[in-house]
Amino acid sequence: MKKLVSVFLALLMMLGLCAPSLAAFEVPAEGYDGSEVTITFYNTMGSNLTAVLDEYIAQFNELYPNIHVEYSSVGSYDDVRDQVSTEITVGNQPNIAYCYPDHVALYNLAKAVQTLDELIESDVTVTRADGSTEKLGLTEEQRADFIEGYYKEGQEFGDGLTYTMPFSKSTEVLYYDKTFFEANGLTVPTNWDEMEETCAKIKEIAPNSIPLGYDSSANWFITMTEQYGSEYTSATEPHFLFNNETNRAFIKRFSEWYNKGYLTTQKLYGAYTSGLFTSTSEVRCYMCIGSSAGATYQRPAANADGTYPFEVGITTIPQVDASNRKVISQGPSVCIFKKNNPQEVVASWLFVKYLTTSTDFQAEFSMASGYVPVLKSVDTNEVYADFLSKADGGNYISALSAKVCLEQADAYYTSPAFNGSSTARDQVDILLNKCLPMSGDNVDAQIEDAFEDAIDECEYSF
Amino acid sequence: MTQKSMSVMHDRDLGKTSARQKAGKALVYFGIYAFLILMALIVLFPFYWMLISSVKSLEEYRLSTPTLWPRMILLGNYAEAFTTAALGRLFVNTLIVGVVSTILSLVITVLTAFAFARLEFKGKELLFAALLATMMIPGELFTITNYSTVTTFGWINTYTVLIVPFLVSVFYIYLLRQNFLQIPNELYLAAKVDGTSDWKYLWKVMVPLSLPTLISITILKMMGAWNSYIWPRLVANDEAHRLITNGLRNAFTDTTGDVNYPVQMAAVALVSLPLFLVFVFLRKYIMSGVSRSGIKG
Amino acid sequence: MVESKQQWKAWLYLAPAIVLLMVFTVWPIVNTVRMSLLEGYSGLKAAGGATFQFGFGNFEKVIQYRRFVQCLRNTVLLCVWTVPISTFLALLIAVALNSIKPLQKALQTIFFLPYVTNSIAIGMVFAAMFNIVGSFYGTQNEIIVTAGIINNVIEFFGGKPVNWINYGSSYMANMTVMIVYIVWNALPFKILILLGGLQSINKQYYEAAKVDSAPRSRVFWRITVPLLSPMLAYVIITGFIGGFKEYTSIVGIFGEKMGPPDDAGRLNTMVGFIYDSLSANNQGRASAAALILFGIILVVTLINLQVSKKRVHY
Repeated sequence: MKKLVSVFLALLMMLGLCAPSLAAFEVPAEGYDGSEVTITFYNTMGSNLTAVLDEYIAQFNELYPNIHVEYSSVGSYDDVRDQVSTEITVGNQPNIAYCYPDHVALYNLAKAVQTLDELIESDVTVTRADGSTEKLGLTEEQRADFIEGYYKEGQEFGDGLTYTMPFSKSTEVLYYDKTFFEANGLTVPTNWDEMEETCAKIKEIAPNSIPLGYDSSANWFITMTEQYGSEYTSATEPHFLFNNETNRAFIKRFSEWYNKGYLTTQKLYGAYTSGLFTSTSEVRCYMCIGSSAGATYQRPAANADGTYPFEVGITTIPQVDASNRKVISQGPSVCIFKKNNPQEVVASWLFVKYLTTSTDFQAEFSMASGYVPVLKSVDTNEVYADFLSKADGGNYISALSAKVCLEQADAYYTSPAFNGSSTARDQVDILLNKCLPMSGDNVDAQIEDAFEDAIDECEYSF
Repeated sequence: MTQKSMSVMHDRDLGKTSARQKAGKALVYFGIYAFLILMALIVLFPFYWMLISSVKSLEEYRLSTPTLWPRMILLGNYAEAFTTAALGRLFVNTLIVGVVSTILSLVITVLTAFAFARLEFKGKELLFAALLATMMIPGELFTITNYSTVTTFGWINTYTVLIVPFLVSVFYIYLLRQNFLQIPNELYLAAKVDGTSDWKYLWKVMVPLSLPTLISITILKMMGAWNSYIWPRLVANDEAHRLITNGLRNAFTDTTGDVNYPVQMAAVALVSLPLFLVFVFLRKYIMSGVSRSGIKG
Repeated sequence: MVESKQQWKAWLYLAPAIVLLMVFTVWPIVNTVRMSLLEGYSGLKAAGGATFQFGFGNFEKVIQYRRFVQCLRNTVLLCVWTVPISTFLALLIAVALNSIKPLQKALQTIFFLPYVTNSIAIGMVFAAMFNIVGSFYGTQNEIIVTAGIINNVIEFFGGKPVNWINYGSSYMANMTVMIVYIVWNALPFKILILLGGLQSINKQYYEAAKVDSAPRSRVFWRITVPLLSPMLAYVIITGFIGGFKEYTSIVGIFGEKMGPPDDAGRLNTMVGFIYDSLSANNQGRASAAALILFGIILVVTLINLQVSKKRVHY
């Protein structure tokens, strides 16, 4: 019996030690050698997007028939993170995964993410099945074609190395009921003071409405800190800096709004606030801040004749300072994981490069998903330009939202990614929702307590 | 009043009763029944509310003065619930996991209980005591490691991961061993004389004689599959393998906002129905199994 | 010869169970203790080649953590409220059931019904019963569409509606809902056991009491309860063990947020805490918390056994 236990333990330990080697990646001299490899790709794509992916995998396989791409739609971004981080602990992580910077910071604890610099800079020539060749690394043109802000996001992990490639992007935009705004002579708010006035006016016109719905409380908090230039987190110690005067002040202000019935959030409402925005009942929103990629959910259900009950307008979210616009950069990047077989890594890179540098793929994927492309050259893609030109508040709402996104490309920010950054994000999300309903004489003290609790939570998990 | 009513029950054993006592007794019985029926109504109320809500229209459900009986019975909610929560797939998954794990678990339990009840080997008592001791440990303690073990095995999002880790239940082994021990030794010795092998004796004599216990185990195990939530959520949360409880909670995550409660209640009713049916037909086995177990599912 | 053959055979019969127990029971116990003693152990960091200091750091961190204290308090509160209430109610019902003949079987079946339900599914029914539909601000702006059947009943009797589980609800209100639900859920098992116990009490005890013409309340406290004490001890012990593992009933009512929308995690329990640590890739602390839970259950059970040794009459 004792023997059995020890043999068993030894076995398990051996299994546990099969983790990939930790040394820096060395690009094989021959690049990809044409051997049979299967690479796995975890994403969150729905069936409309996997259809596009399938098409491009088929094209990729014409060039590299021996690279078999198996993808799986794991669920939400968090599901991808949870599954990958579990699999890393036992060494059977996928080859490629959709990721956010926070996730990569987590995977980096296990040193599991392959840095891409060696591959990007590689001069090795790879021969494809049709006899043509390509440079393994990125060419000058390919590198220059990426929208700079997106590309840089892959390098913000403190060491200057490249960990991720941008895949498709989105941001937050303000959706508003254009029909209602025009009928009542309202102007669309561009800053938070105007937002307050607008909410007050809407409340007068429609007392049972909740003028503003904000989907992501975490984004809201972080974006406010960016707009105010107040502190949120830092990649170096001390990490958690968000408990400060400015932040408490804007939270208090929003809490007053909440208590006047001006707004709700996804957490407090219990579902995406787009449900309220598109609702036809009395209890509804007239403005909604949500992901630019979710534009089709912000469109009310069509009438029998194909028209819409109201027209949706889309614009930049309110700002603190019009000369220093800040909107969050969202949407997936992809990272490649270390593997014992260098051919798998090279093959993964070839596939990632294929998708991220293909103008056609980026255009088609963006149209299907509502995300915006990461390449500048997509502007020259005729189909995509045609798509954008049709932008309206009805059938082509995705085009409209993409257009608004592209117009504010200079305003994107990303926050520091480090071990603990995702906790900070979770905590400010909880914090904001906890503070909004607060009222009474001691609201300042309550808010202060809530901030301290949130900081404590961050410190604990760190 | 309640204490009185409790002690009064013993009165019936005594013959001598006057008219006044009779009247008092009737009053006490009235009290007892009133209490029991009131409690029964409270116990039943959630079921009643679930059922009538499940056939109301959303408008009727949201009336500020609720109707205690639906104005119009809307069975379409059930169809909608079935599709919204993809209940078909969930039922099939749960059934597969339930049936396979029950069969395998029964086989293992029978073999193990037999070894502990009838066979002789070194360290038998010690091993059995060790097994019983593990029953004290909360399951969460195992989950932490089992989660990474099954990931190592590559079992995430498979039926295997829902079946294999829970095949051995010390409690069932204990239950069946007790039952086996009650079967007289003479039978075993007689079979030995006849040259019947242990294997044959086990399946031909002992198993049939312990059928009630085995049925109880089967039901408890099936109920377990039906009700399990934490482990499946952790290791098999993909559409192809998701189990019923998890699917139900997933399909209706929101407690506020524009939830279509009638449809949600219809889904809950559909999920509850199979257990009720099992209960109606196998009440005796369930109750005797439960009274010996003290565990829920 | 026969002896050693039997040995072999026995191990063969045991083999499937032993193998599975090794992998899914013995190894986890060893590993949990190991991980709990490695400070800040995380599977991810371990995979990255990190080493961990040996010590009690995980336990210290966990015990000092506000959330853990909150989870512990919730769990203990739920236990000390639900176990006595459900035991007492179950005792009343069982004694009443035992004293009647007509309808006994039917009522017994009804009282057992909550047992054959799915605690998440019926939790959703309870949530619906307590839920306020509408945009609830707690101010003059609130628009209550439906106050929920429980509030309707309260209003019917002239009371004021309570915000039970929606945003802005109080901890007291949340706990009340949980206690009601858990008691409802716990009754069937307790009634079943206690009724079984009552039915096996020898009638002679009562005859003797009658001869002494003892008052009824004395008969209950001096005869019924003592004779029922083994069963009472059993339902109380299993009640406490179950109570310390409370988790799914809360998910049923509040969802995985484990609290009202504006205060996620407010009603989290020990088990919930373990899972949270696990999903935060903090296996060291999850293990420490699991061992603490085990310790608490062990101590509570031992205390219970100790008390019942003195009080239980066999």
